[in-house]
Amino acid sequence: MKDSLRKSYLASITDRFVRGQMSRRDFLGAATKLGLGAGALGMGFGNRPFMLSKAQAAEDLVPNPEIIAWLKDVGKPFAGTTLKLATESTPPSNAINGQLKKYFEEATGIKVEIEVLPLEQVLQKLTLDVASSLGTYDLYYIDQSWAASFSQDVFDPREQYSAKADLAMPNYNLDDFLPALVDGIAKYEDRWVGVPYDIPIFIMIYRKDIYEKLNLKAPETLEELYSNSKIITDEMGPNVYGTTGQMKSGHYSLECDWTAWLWGHGGSIFGPDGKFTGNDERGIEALEYWTKLKATMPPGVDGWTWDGQGQSVAQGVAASMLSWGEFFPYFDDPTQTKVSGLCEVAVPPRASSLRTVKETGYGEIPGVGHQGGSSLAVSRYSKSPDAAWLFMQWATCADTQALITTLGGGTGPTRASVYDDPRVLANARVGAGTTRHLPIVRETIAKHMGSEPDLPEWAQLSSDTIPVGLGKYFAGSYGSPKEALDDIAAQVDAVMKG
Amino acid sequence: MPQSKSARTFRTLAGWLVVAIFFFPIFFWTSVAFRNARDIFDWPPKLVNFTPTVKNFEQVFGISLGFGFGTQETVNPGGGNFYMAPRLVDSIVVATFSTLLAIAVATLAAYCLSRMQFRGRHQFVNWVLSTRMMPPVAVAIPMFFIFKQLNLLDTYLGLVLVHGLMNLPLAVLLLKSFFDDIPSEIDESALLDGASRWTIFRRIVLPMAKGGIAASAVLCFIFSWTEFLFVLTLTQTSIKTVPVVSSTFVTSIGTAWGNMAALGAAAIVPAFIVILLVQRHLVRGLTMGSLKQ
Amino acid sequence: MSTIQVRRFAISDSPWPWLFPLVALLMVFTIYPLIYNIWLSFHEFLPRKRTLAFVGFSNWIQLWNDTRFWGALGVTFIYFIIALTCEIVLGMAIALLLDAELPGFGVLRAVLSMTLVIPPAIAGMMFLLMEDPQFGVITYFLNELGLLAKGTPILSTSSLALAGVMVAEIWQWTPFMVLIFLAGLRALPAEPYEAAMIDGASAVQMFRRLTLPMMSRVIAVAVLLRGIDLFRVFDYVFVMTSGGPGTATYTLSLYAWQQTFSNLKWGYGATLSLVSLAIIMVLANLFIKLFKVRW
Repeated sequence: MKDSLRKSYLASITDRFVRGQMSRRDFLGAATKLGLGAGALGMGFGNRPFMLSKAQAAEDLVPNPEIIAWLKDVGKPFAGTTLKLATESTPPSNAINGQLKKYFEEATGIKVEIEVLPLEQVLQKLTLDVASSLGTYDLYYIDQSWAASFSQDVFDPREQYSAKADLAMPNYNLDDFLPALVDGIAKYEDRWVGVPYDIPIFIMIYRKDIYEKLNLKAPETLEELYSNSKIITDEMGPNVYGTTGQMKSGHYSLECDWTAWLWGHGGSIFGPDGKFTGNDERGIEALEYWTKLKATMPPGVDGWTWDGQGQSVAQGVAASMLSWGEFFPYFDDPTQTKVSGLCEVAVPPRASSLRTVKETGYGEIPGVGHQGGSSLAVSRYSKSPDAAWLFMQWATCADTQALITTLGGGTGPTRASVYDDPRVLANARVGAGTTRHLPIVRETIAKHMGSEPDLPEWAQLSSDTIPVGLGKYFAGSYGSPKEALDDIAAQVDAVMKG
Repeated sequence: MPQSKSARTFRTLAGWLVVAIFFFPIFFWTSVAFRNARDIFDWPPKLVNFTPTVKNFEQVFGISLGFGFGTQETVNPGGGNFYMAPRLVDSIVVATFSTLLAIAVATLAAYCLSRMQFRGRHQFVNWVLSTRMMPPVAVAIPMFFIFKQLNLLDTYLGLVLVHGLMNLPLAVLLLKSFFDDIPSEIDESALLDGASRWTIFRRIVLPMAKGGIAASAVLCFIFSWTEFLFVLTLTQTSIKTVPVVSSTFVTSIGTAWGNMAALGAAAIVPAFIVILLVQRHLVRGLTMGSLKQ
Repeated sequence: MSTIQVRRFAISDSPWPWLFPLVALLMVFTIYPLIYNIWLSFHEFLPRKRTLAFVGFSNWIQLWNDTRFWGALGVTFIYFIIALTCEIVLGMAIALLLDAELPGFGVLRAVLSMTLVIPPAIAGMMFLLMEDPQFGVITYFLNELGLLAKGTPILSTSSLALAGVMVAEIWQWTPFMVLIFLAGLRALPAEPYEAAMIDGASAVQMFRRLTLPMMSRVIAVAVLLRGIDLFRVFDYVFVMTSGGPGTATYTLSLYAWQQTFSNLKWGYGATLSLVSLAIIMVLANLFIKLFKVRW
């Protein structure tokens, strides 16, 4: 079988597996027959099936000439325009800013200026821009937790696509975006708040060597995660801890961790009547579990955001984490970490029970795989919305996304087709910027994704009310989980009343 | 004051020890700039025994330091654009010109406040001081709107103005105290000789207050050099100063501590040179006070 | 000077040409923001409608029942008082120590001022890294010295977090005090000391009877300048603890920022800022009266 055929066959079975049309065993069997080590699929390690050196790969990593030709064609009237975008420092934004935007600028003559900031500062910039309606930015990077707040300030891409036929990119294909992500990230009420641009999502990352040494297997349930972690901490602490977290008080990251445990125990943030339900029986059970699990984590955990959490795994202090899959390519980088090639990925542990969307409020989707995606949208206040729309299509089209994923260090694509792109598959080897975890990311998105509710007050609740309350709890200010959650419930109610 | 030899030795050692404690964080931070991530997070922490790297500097300043070929594009495969050299220039421009602005305006006012009697002078100085009391968030937002109207957003002029303004109360107060130390008899005798206020100010008082002006200028420079919230709010993509651009290293996949430390360490240098240039004046500070006797 | 000359002196020199540039610039910087914030404090941003609506006094009334506000006020005061005291005392001690021509002291005085050129936001990151419970070098030293139990996270333990933040603050700003105090010490006349020495006064006596009274004005200026900035502390808490754990390090400035940008409560944020401004003004004026500072 020729290499290209093999890759496309692999892509198709991966797709079938993810859709649940094929069992894991059949899938692995088929993959093995293709002569692919499990490493290529992100399920084993050590094999390097494609043996592509970085330099060799980089030569092929240029945009599709057809797309560049199209950009040249439609971009002409906008030459000389300057577009501005404020974005969090994420792999896709960095890849575009550092390496890819030059192709767009050369083709169209449009200048793209990207301001890269930490998440809180992006929010500050957007708030000022929106409140002043001055259009200082042409494109918005919108974290999923702000989607409701900014839904009226951006164009719906579906409308843009149909209204401006002359500017519509051929084969842009809005349907290619993973439907789960469109629901979870972009959709608010009946509008699309931009298109899904980036998808960090909670997956199970664990140290295969430690798990093997202690005869453990990847946790399939939350209880197993706890028992595994406890065994590791008991055996190897205080040098190595079973698991870790991002539990900095008053920081959005703490809220992210909370939702995973809450949903995993059959709880939800809101009920169908719009009332906070995080303090019901399930919610208390979840917090009790979390408290128990925290005892197996390194003592620094409640001072860490994702940075400290990621470092604790990267430096070999923690043996597992249920957290952003984005980190995985970094762990594989031998110049930066002590665990290159030692980590393995799995889907998040199964929830003990799960509420359905109907049993929750504000479009919340329960699931252990908390997603922290973001969307890219054109601002309504932009002075050059058409040029911005061109850029947005280019930045989120399948070809660009494949380049982002390969150049930008194995970030999770938001389009189905990109997961099967040969360039992406070719990078599935141990090393910096690996994509060997992506099949698991894809499976998690399809089957285990959890998504936060969408309401205008959510930015406040998720980055202030809830993480401050939980921070107090873990600092010992409350007598019991129930007391803590009841207090949070009261504060959430107060915010909701305005 | 005469001191015994042992007391002198003790005092010398104590001085060195105290400054060493204050210097330690800077030493440590600078050493972080020369480390790979795996050496930054090590337990027990390493102070010197790590394998040094200049990679962080190469990425931040887009140059090769002779250890392999690095340009800003190839040294940073993660795709992040950490090339910060122009931002250092921005910082220098903004800090220099805002200091000039603040000192020029404040010297005039401080001389007047030091020499001329008028009703409400005390209250006037209090008012000047009170302009520094507003929380920065509350000033930054209205400034954003004004700047947008005046097209000053994201320009050197805008930042120079806002930093100059921010430093005025400090500069006026300090300069006034320096002028106060120059005996007013000198002015008065010159006035009697028929010299104008302006001539006295320019020919006599200014030269005498050189040291004080230098000291005030350094403080203005430093406050502009380190200011965060105004720059964050009033700039977008064309200008950024070091404190704000440092937050670029806080990414969604962790913080690039080594790069941040490299920029931080490099940013100490220009500001420190300014301090050294006027150190003589800084240390002599108010010695003109002795003229009073 | 004769009375006639004094009068001519006073009349012929109007202060206003000298003050005009200052007044003009400060107006923009203070009057407009002040009016804007007062106006804003009677309005509130409606996130769903994207407009500001008039809400009367409701923001001001809300203050009374807002436990977060009172908590933040308390934290701000504690921070303000402790940090200011430490900086003054340490600053004076170090200034006295370094006010001598001993081997290398010129270099030491310059090196000490290096802390000032580091932006507070970066200084916060430095100490965040050094106080990390897992990897931090300060944590390590404290553990080894037996001053801190192993595994106690400084910045996420309620009783220690504020101290952890203040370490960065005090480290950075004590040299500022040293700089000002050194300048003041250098300006002191020598005669009183010579006289005191003949009388056989001890060093402590001389410090209390001579140095302190003569330095009072310099100290007052230093307290005012630093005190004003301390009350508005933002960068360190923002970077190091986000106000946590819980609200243990939540300061007024951080709360105002949070209300404005994260909660989109523009009006309430402005109200908080105005309260903060009012408190500093009252404190500063009290201080100026109490210590009889005349400009």
